[in-house]
Amino acid sequence: MSEYVVEMRHITKRFPGIVANSDVSISIRKGEVYALLGENGAGKSTLMSILFGIYEPDEGEILVDGNKVTFHSSTDAAACSIGMVHQHFMLVDPFTITENIVLGIEPERKQLGFLPWVNMKKANKDISELSKAYGLEVNPTDRIADVPVSVRQRVEILKMLYRGAEIMIFDEPTAVLTPQEIDFLLQIIDNLRKDGKTIILITHKIDEIKRIADRCAILRQGCLIGVRDVKEASAQELADLMVGRKVELKLDKKPPQFREPVLEVEHLTVKNEVKFDVVKDVSFTVRGGEVFAIAGVSGNGQVEIADAIAGLAKAAGGTIRLNGKDITHTPVRERSLAGISYIPEDRLATGTIPDMTLQENLGLREYFRPPFSARGILDHGAERSYAEKLIGTYDIRCAQGPDTILRSMSGGNQQKAIIGREIEERSALTIFVQPTRGLDIGAIENIHRMILEERDRGAAILLISLELDEVMALADTIGVLYRGELLKTAPAEGLTKTEVGRYMMGVKEA
Amino acid sequence: MKEIRRFLARRLTGRHASLWVSVIAILLMMITASILLLGMGKSPLTAFKTFLQGCGFLARENYGGGSGQLSDLLDFLNYLTPLILASVAFITAFKAGLFNIGISGQMLLAGFTATVVVGYNKELSPFIAKPAVLLIGLLAGGLAGALIGFLKYKFNIHEVVSTIMINYIISYLTGFFINNNYVDMMTRTSKVCSAASRLTLTNVMIGDMKCKIPLGLIIAILAALLVAFLFRKTVAGFEIKAVGQNRRCSEYSGIRVNRTIMLSMGLSGAIAGLAGVCYYLGYTNTIIPKILPSMGFDAISVALLGNGSPIGAIFAGAVVSIFQQGANFMSSSLGVAKEIASLISGILLLYASCGNYMRFKARRSLQLAADLVPASEIPGTTEKKEAEDDDQ
Repeated sequence: MSEYVVEMRHITKRFPGIVANSDVSISIRKGEVYALLGENGAGKSTLMSILFGIYEPDEGEILVDGNKVTFHSSTDAAACSIGMVHQHFMLVDPFTITENIVLGIEPERKQLGFLPWVNMKKANKDISELSKAYGLEVNPTDRIADVPVSVRQRVEILKMLYRGAEIMIFDEPTAVLTPQEIDFLLQIIDNLRKDGKTIILITHKIDEIKRIADRCAILRQGCLIGVRDVKEASAQELADLMVGRKVELKLDKKPPQFREPVLEVEHLTVKNEVKFDVVKDVSFTVRGGEVFAIAGVSGNGQVEIADAIAGLAKAAGGTIRLNGKDITHTPVRERSLAGISYIPEDRLATGTIPDMTLQENLGLREYFRPPFSARGILDHGAERSYAEKLIGTYDIRCAQGPDTILRSMSGGNQQKAIIGREIEERSALTIFVQPTRGLDIGAIENIHRMILEERDRGAAILLISLELDEVMALADTIGVLYRGELLKTAPAEGLTKTEVGRYMMGVKEA
Repeated sequence: MKEIRRFLARRLTGRHASLWVSVIAILLMMITASILLLGMGKSPLTAFKTFLQGCGFLARENYGGGSGQLSDLLDFLNYLTPLILASVAFITAFKAGLFNIGISGQMLLAGFTATVVVGYNKELSPFIAKPAVLLIGLLAGGLAGALIGFLKYKFNIHEVVSTIMINYIISYLTGFFINNNYVDMMTRTSKVCSAASRLTLTNVMIGDMKCKIPLGLIIAILAALLVAFLFRKTVAGFEIKAVGQNRRCSEYSGIRVNRTIMLSMGLSGAIAGLAGVCYYLGYTNTIIPKILPSMGFDAISVALLGNGSPIGAIFAGAVVSIFQQGANFMSSSLGVAKEIASLISGILLLYASCGNYMRFKARRSLQLAADLVPASEIPGTTEKKEAEDDDQ
């Protein structure tokens, strides 16, 4: 019996144009929490996808319990008691929790003595017991579509446990959770460790590693930089190793200079498709030179507020004023010309047309007016030089310049393109929704700097973010949204992270 | 063999990949058709030759009285004209992400309206009648198309569903009127339209050949060029493409999505209307009641083979027309059933629709050719993995 439960030796995986993993060797002991730290594109997910059988390595070998194994699919990996919680949950929304968990390995019973039938009663009982045993309480008969994200994550964990996984891979599990939910999850991970399970945690958040992990491997550009004992390494050291240079963990934020109100939202109500109020009677004001941040757990109406202000969603009630002018019912283009820039949550679905070129995407706010077009005829030359200018100013990395197909660019550069396009409008109001989602430390730093520059220029900034750290770092004023209502609005300096977290859970006055 | 694979893989990932997909589809079709013909004991070479002879690309051994290579070629162009238009019509809607399978219905409606309003009016001079036919074609088709766009945005009715239904409505409604009012008792089709209104000049003597001159061909090529210009150079064309590729982002950018959908659908219908008048008042001069022109569906395949490009549609239309038009002569000289022509175009389109698969295979084989190829030579894949990584 080997000392290590999992060994990955000299793993190399190439994709066209890049080496995702280059000669990476890691060894994981039984019963430890092993963290993989690295920026996006560092190769963490690829390495774990190899361990989980999604990719096959070009070189190198994998040993489980000291035996050499070859995985052709995740089924093979699951047979070796390896389980994985993906960042994007793999659940069937209309199915119940139990149905999701037993899917593929349903307990059977014979109806009328011969017809194979799913024994749902037994399954429900099993799941109920399993969830209690690990403190992961769920109601087995709830439908996935009706339960919040944190419960869905528990279902994913239960799915692994039900399949008897001993080695559990968590891919960025905290990205979608509130601080309180994160505490809970880390507690669960700790319980699992005590139960003898081996945990592999993929993350780029150093504080979580400090709190839970035993050892930590740092990856950068596909290479293993080092393995540290978490107790002996400082947060600063880990951050520097991850980025490969000294990082400023603190932002240089000047004191705010508030000006006239730019955006005034009064009693705003927004309904969704089924006429349910997703935003209820929300009122707030954003002044020039102010970063107004809306904090809240995902799905509490943040996106709808942003969409309503930008004109993408209809306001069912209330008024929206920009620079004193009522824009509640004006079309999208008039609003953007009146001075609204909007960086939407979903880069590929809303912010860009992924199969068009970078040039066309950069021109989306301008193509319809001179000098980019006259009398309905486009001037591709003018658009091109505009695109080239933006590529330079905002340091957008693109393989074929303005002709690069946007989809082929990395997420960070896609985001830079959107932010560049929107900031270049020099609008009175800029709405940022989740501007740094899925980006690495370097890119986040850069985007935060750009947001503050816009604020110092005198623009009003509406920042909507699920990352509490981001809200705390950038906001001058914080509003906390819970179930479509603005529970609390206060200057940022008067609030602590824990307080905001509590409001996010719906606790009114602490 | 290795060199050929390598060559194809490069072509299929290169700049003119879409053109190569069509070329390879045609080659594969010829191979498959050859096997088929060999199986029937016929010489594929002779078969392809007779197809070309039937369309006037090659001279036949002997011609009947009043016909010749030129008249064959003009017959071919006469068929090609509405096919190009129909295919351009499909492309116009397709760029907006709309699948207009109602081209047949729009063609029929336009052809019927023009026949009734202009074609049966014996007094009009050709100089008034022909433009009037075109105008009515544009209007009738355009309105039918715009209606589908309207149903889509107002009631969210999927265009495939509404066009299928409207196809039936048009087919039976026009059939009803033809049978009641305009039927020719001998042929059981509608009465023929006047020669003045017909867009194809018939019985024109060139030398000793009786030829048909398809005036609509100029319109068809102009339409293809205009639509190409629309999508390459105009704001409206850009907005149609944007809506077609990402409706939500278009809305976000301030494009009036509904108006754009109506516009592209109306435009598509209008061009289909032109195809309709070129077909019913050109290629033929009568309408068979309750039959939708199959050309409206062939147009979809032609658009596919032409890679969704209006200019490509001219060439793809020509390829498909060779088999449709040349079938008669091929059939009579080889003694093979004429339907083989449809079979061959079917095979061709099957291969054409495998375009993405071909490209995928090409990329794969280049990747497997080990990392000997510098990444910069595999376009479109360079940063893809990274992008996926970031999204996770």
